[in-house]
Amino acid sequence: MPSRDYLGEFEHIVVLALMRLADRAYGVTVRQEIEFRTKREVSIGAIYATLDRLESKGFVKSHLGDPTPERGGRSKRFFHVTAKGVAAVTRTQRAFQSMSEGLDLGFMRSYS
Amino acid sequence: MTSQAHLGQPPRLAGWFIHRFTAHENAESIFGDLLEEYSYLASKSGVTFARRWYWRQTVKTIAHLFGSSYRAAPWSTTAAAVGGFLLHKFVSGLPDKLLSAVTDRYLAFWSTHFNAYIWVLKAMMPAHLVASLFVGCVIALAVKGREMVATITLALVLCALIGSAMVWVATRSPLGIVWMLGSFADPFAIVVGGAIVRTRRSAAITLAKHG
Repeated sequence: MPSRDYLGEFEHIVVLALMRLADRAYGVTVRQEIEFRTKREVSIGAIYATLDRLESKGFVKSHLGDPTPERGGRSKRFFHVTAKGVAAVTRTQRAFQSMSEGLDLGFMRSYS
Repeated sequence: MTSQAHLGQPPRLAGWFIHRFTAHENAESIFGDLLEEYSYLASKSGVTFARRWYWRQTVKTIAHLFGSSYRAAPWSTTAAAVGGFLLHKFVSGLPDKLLSAVTDRYLAFWSTHFNAYIWVLKAMMPAHLVASLFVGCVIALAVKGREMVATITLALVLCALIGSAMVWVATRSPLGIVWMLGSFADPFAIVVGGAIVRTRRSAAITLAKHG
């Protein structure tokens, strides 16, 4: 199976954030959601670079919202996951599950 | 609700830097997102905190956009940098060749006007900078949309070569700090050339978009 059918680590996190946020997913909310859940600081550049890559692979789609005054009259770019993206997440999740099956991760953590 | 004027504007220089690396189709959403979070942070934690956050985002965003832009077209970016290196090698030697030719031809004149000769020698440094600026502009014109990535790649290669040469020289004789800093002026001028082309292209796109 081609490697592009699987998601990279950060791509996986971004797609899961889009799925959680549903129709509220745009740069700010995606960045905050990832920071809140993974406890790691993420730049807006990393989010857009990843979303652009995912869009070129057909895993996500975007559309521009209406301009708002608190954004200096600039539009929000909303993103949503396509059916192809959902399939890629499922495949990647299965691969992770398959790889971690039978491993005692709690036991390993105590030695790290 | 606190007004934007009260909260102050995000650092303009940071915005300028981000603009040099952002694809035009992403610029509006990225700046909107940054302004939205900046305003929220400024009202919640103060303007100083928000400005610091904005600068941190700027540095990380530029690093990511640089990396993703290079990865999107590694061969054409590398080809532009290699072409730029060869062009720089050719162009940067021109002022010295010109000086040698003029010196040889008008030897009698220079011997009686030694001060003028000193001034011509002093003009060599700006001439090299103009040559590097020209190289930066040519590379940037060749790679549309990746002007900064290509020019910075070439500048980094030159910096690495200059740095290595400096280490080699420094092991034999002490180096002056001004001379050391001056040696990095050429790579800097190449990046400035890239920024000039990028700025002009962005302005043209904006003008075309808004009539």
